[in-house]
Amino acid sequence: MDNHIKKVYVPMTETGFYILLFLREESHGYSIVKKTEQLTDGEIKISPGTLYGSLSKMEKDGLIRFVREEEKRKIYCITELGTQVLELEMKRIERLYKSMMEAR
Amino acid sequence: MKETKRELKFFSVLQWKKEEQYLRWQHKNGWEFEKIRGAVYHFRKCKPEDVIYQLDYHPDSKTRKDEYIQIFEDCGWEYLQNYAGYSYFRKSNSQMDGTEEEIFCDDDSRLEMVKRVFKGRIIPLIIIFLLIIIPNIFNLGMENAAVERLLFVIFCVLFIVYLVLFVSFAVSFWKYYRAAHKG
Repeated sequence: MDNHIKKVYVPMTETGFYILLFLREESHGYSIVKKTEQLTDGEIKISPGTLYGSLSKMEKDGLIRFVREEEKRKIYCITELGTQVLELEMKRIERLYKSMMEAR
Repeated sequence: MKETKRELKFFSVLQWKKEEQYLRWQHKNGWEFEKIRGAVYHFRKCKPEDVIYQLDYHPDSKTRKDEYIQIFEDCGWEYLQNYAGYSYFRKSNSQMDGTEEEIFCDDDSRLEMVKRVFKGRIIPLIIIFLLIIIPNIFNLGMENAAVERLLFVIFCVLFIVYLVLFVSFAVSFWKYYRAAHKG
């Protein structure tokens, strides 16, 4: 993984994190919105402009890849690079959480 | 018979927030946005309603148009039209549960939009400025014939217009940048 990717994506935005988290399974943009809403009890609502921007940027950077099209909806999937970035980010958040609990 | 009206209104490439407010205010007063042609806004009479209008700038969305529009429509935003790289969307406030929605949910993506406008609209202006306006001011400034004098004045006016635009873009970019990095 080059430094540019690390610099841009670690830490990443909440939208970026949920995209990678849910693209471990093939899905389209709107299902990421729905799954995020369910998982966070409606607290996180991803907006379409932010979603589209992140998806196209991540595809360009090779974190996710286009799989196929279904009724005008593009199905994406995480790549090897995307998985590495997600793991780095998960480790960072775990460390953050652990520190928070210990300092509390 | 449907009643319609047209209004001439100018917004610069940087004033999309003002444009959104303008369209929302029209809809609140019973005029729903139909289309924009040139600088003319077409409205159709409707029931007054609070409808949020939002603009996105994505010139590359033309090639991925179906996917792009579908994502917005899935999220309940009606796609209205594309105009000079800007896409127009609207969603009724009554369809949002309590909180006013936007098409962007974080400052990172708001800043990304400003950067896209910069790349798509401001960089071409800078190129025109450096390659056409400035050389012409130097060349024409030394001539004495009437036609050249007139052209000289025109290029000087353009010089000032461009300068004002660049400064106002720098100011709005700085504002967005500050907002995005203060958290």
